[in-house]
Amino acid sequence: MRGPLRARRLLAGALAAGLLLAACGSDDDSSDDTSGADPAPTTAAAGGGDSGDGGDAGDSTSGEVVDVNVWIAFTDGRLDWTQAVAEEFNSLIDGYRVVVQGYPDYESLFDATLLAVDQGNPPSVVQYFEAATTDAQDAVDSSGDPIFTSVEAAIGGRSEILGFPVVLDDVVESARNYYTLDGEFKSMPWNTSSAIMFINRTLLDAAGVEGTPATWDELEEACDQFLASDAATNACVTWPNHSWFIEQTIAQQGATLVNNENGRSARATEVDLVSDAMIDYLEWWSGLEDAGVYVYTGTQRDWGGTYDLFAAQGVPFLIYSSSDTTLLTDEGVNGGFDVEAAFMPRNGDRTSDGGNIIGGATLWLVDGLPDGQRDAALAFLNFLNNPENAAEWHRVTGYIPITEASVALLEAEGWFDENPNSRVANEQLAAAPASPATAGALMGNFVNIRNVITEAIEDILVNDLDPATRMQTAQADAQRLLDEYNQLFG
Amino acid sequence: MNAGAAVAVLLVTAALGAFLVGRAAARVGRPTGLGIAIGTAVGALAPLAVMVPLDFCTFDAGVSATDLWFGIALMVGVALVAYQLAANAIDPEARLRRKRAGDDVSHGIFRGHPFMPWLLLAPTLVILVLFLYWPAIRTVRLSTQLVRLGAPRGVDRCVANFTELIGPTRPVWTLVVLLVSVALFFGATFAGRSSSPRVARWASLLSTAGVGAILVFLALLWTASYQKVFIVTMIISVGTVAGGLVISLLIASLAYQPVRGASVYRTLLVWPYAISPPIAGLLFFVMFDPNSGIIEHWLDRLLGIPLPNYRQNATLAQFVVILASIWKTLGYNLLFYIAGLQTVPKDQLEAATLDGAGSFARFWYVVIPALSPITFFLIVTNLTYAFFETFGTIDYLTAGGPAGATRVAMYEIYEVAIPGRDLGRGAAQSLILFAGVVALTVWQFRSTGRRVSYGR
Repeated sequence: MRGPLRARRLLAGALAAGLLLAACGSDDDSSDDTSGADPAPTTAAAGGGDSGDGGDAGDSTSGEVVDVNVWIAFTDGRLDWTQAVAEEFNSLIDGYRVVVQGYPDYESLFDATLLAVDQGNPPSVVQYFEAATTDAQDAVDSSGDPIFTSVEAAIGGRSEILGFPVVLDDVVESARNYYTLDGEFKSMPWNTSSAIMFINRTLLDAAGVEGTPATWDELEEACDQFLASDAATNACVTWPNHSWFIEQTIAQQGATLVNNENGRSARATEVDLVSDAMIDYLEWWSGLEDAGVYVYTGTQRDWGGTYDLFAAQGVPFLIYSSSDTTLLTDEGVNGGFDVEAAFMPRNGDRTSDGGNIIGGATLWLVDGLPDGQRDAALAFLNFLNNPENAAEWHRVTGYIPITEASVALLEAEGWFDENPNSRVANEQLAAAPASPATAGALMGNFVNIRNVITEAIEDILVNDLDPATRMQTAQADAQRLLDEYNQLFG
Repeated sequence: MNAGAAVAVLLVTAALGAFLVGRAAARVGRPTGLGIAIGTAVGALAPLAVMVPLDFCTFDAGVSATDLWFGIALMVGVALVAYQLAANAIDPEARLRRKRAGDDVSHGIFRGHPFMPWLLLAPTLVILVLFLYWPAIRTVRLSTQLVRLGAPRGVDRCVANFTELIGPTRPVWTLVVLLVSVALFFGATFAGRSSSPRVARWASLLSTAGVGAILVFLALLWTASYQKVFIVTMIISVGTVAGGLVISLLIASLAYQPVRGASVYRTLLVWPYAISPPIAGLLFFVMFDPNSGIIEHWLDRLLGIPLPNYRQNATLAQFVVILASIWKTLGYNLLFYIAGLQTVPKDQLEAATLDGAGSFARFWYVVIPALSPITFFLIVTNLTYAFFETFGTIDYLTAGGPAGATRVAMYEIYEVAIPGRDLGRGAAQSLILFAGVVALTVWQFRSTGRRVSYGR
């Protein structure tokens, strides 16, 4: 009896292990995101599709459903929202299934993409953020072919794909300008935002501060007034030490960050971190910090800490991404204070109007997909940005409505009248004069150069260094990073 | 290509090998001629083994003086290690001595087919080669290149990934400190050979001073930015190891007392060890939060002192990192110390009591020396922990900040190689860290290890 019993036990054990593996393979969407680099879960999910063998029963209803993998850098509600849109898309289309997988941040998403390409099993669509645009354009596989192809070229002038209308032509100007390289719209914009200022009007009213500061000087004045009042808190304003805000302010002042028209007429070869626009801004910033007006949370790219400070009414002013407009406005509703959105303050001495650039990310189409799969991916990209979805995306997050049609839809619904804060980002972007400065800088190794900038600023803020001297060091480091990138990719 | 210089260095290393190994051979009673032959061979071959893969690029025309001297130092350094190995290999006594010292396992005999042991070892060997040796070789290769994940090509950089970290701000002092440390090591060697016990006692002191001088030399050697990484690594490692051992020994001697419920205390004390370093980082992040942390709350409530923000204060940030690291590894150290305290010979303690030694004297003169093997072991493991595993704690607690004040070597490697995507520099820096750990361990085995009493 012992023999068969043992064999049965072994079998049961193997079955249990198999089930466990299958379970791990199927619910890999949120549990362990870095495991996306590991091909195992994806092959488990996609195996039925592309090999077409009817052997594994149960999972797929018909053997011909081809998976279109879309990898994005969200793991929160934004992933759930996208997955819901994908579900809706899947119910409208035959033969293809869009599978959206989330990654915790852009960096791990890039690494996973590069590894997947290396292993010959790339996804169909990958989300790259704006600073990595050059990296995405230059990315090649092991045989030296580009990983991504231009969305505009892939659409090829069609007005609808697999029955889904194309919306790429309708994308708002600021995003179109940013992502148009060499005259071609390279990738499908999706989450797009701008840096705007949030104001705790209740706190300002209690302090007797009136008006909405539009320039650096006005902000400083309002802060002095606020801090001198009875309603004063520990500090007056904060924003994350993120290079994006520095890029915004450089663009506002009409300066460029790199040569060759901000890297738009040709590959950027010289970076400029010691421009007057940069030094003036850093001197103003560190002056605010020294005076106790600006509060530094002590961590680079601290979105959470600065957000919390504003939400807890620790500061009346917060300069932040418009992506969280809805959330921040709700903080006010829940916390019993009025939140107002306004343009990001500008340098009144140098510029008379705005001039902000976008931020966020776009969806890049992988090159070399079979025609059918490519069209399904393109159809999904356009479905994701159709007026209803783009408007809903704006409503739930605060990212700008990305197409003119979605703006019109929201306008018609009266959304902007009910939520005036949501209007600010689009208005600010539309107010920017078209120029290389406001198109936004493009350069290789931008992500690392951003880190060089924020590191230098942390040094300036924490150790009270002279901005001009410290930025000279940063300039050398950044130039080296750019040179090395161009050496490898140029 | 400066071929003349390369040949000259090779001749020097070969001649030096002939001299040193020849002398060593004579000392152990082997034929001097054999020693000279072996010494010449290893003296020439060892530097070649390093320089041929590098294609002698440090001797190329137009390289910087730093690169040239780095290449020469590399050749000489490899040759010195090779001499030592050769001298040991020809010494018939060396093996016996190692066996006596207890760090050489005597081999059993495997009966059966000679192929069998290899077959049994194969799974282990395959894993070692695939996941340890192959990546290690790749790391060495990468360290000489400019490479990026996803780049279409790589560029050879010779030894620039290493030499660009070298750039003493005070070259004269650097040289002086180097000479002092060499002198101290020679002094230690001579003192160690002396027959007079009074002189011999100086040996360990001199070698400790020599290591200190070497550390100062290294600190002076780097460029200003890497110097900061080096000093921060030293502060956090030494703080974690020294602080951790002292605190855990004190707590262990309390927890060892036979009080009611001692086993419960001991179990609770070991708990932090089960927590992973990132979680320790998160816990301290929350506790020390300058706005809403519990430390801030009680400091303010009880003493009325506001807690300065450790995320903006370099010294405090280092202190909090050290504290979190000590706390995290406390359970591990306690486990060993409590076990060790149970092995302290009772008769010696009783004898000391009869001789009138107070509790402090007993602790200092009997307990601490009896614990020396455990302390030695813990220093090695804790140093490894401090170098490699505080990463998780630091990442969650300070992310290397403020302004690099808690950016230890391991964190710097991560920053350069993973978010920075610069695999070449990351590989080079990880080799530097590896060399540092190897050097520290060798020094510990040679100095501390000698004085450790295993009670035999």
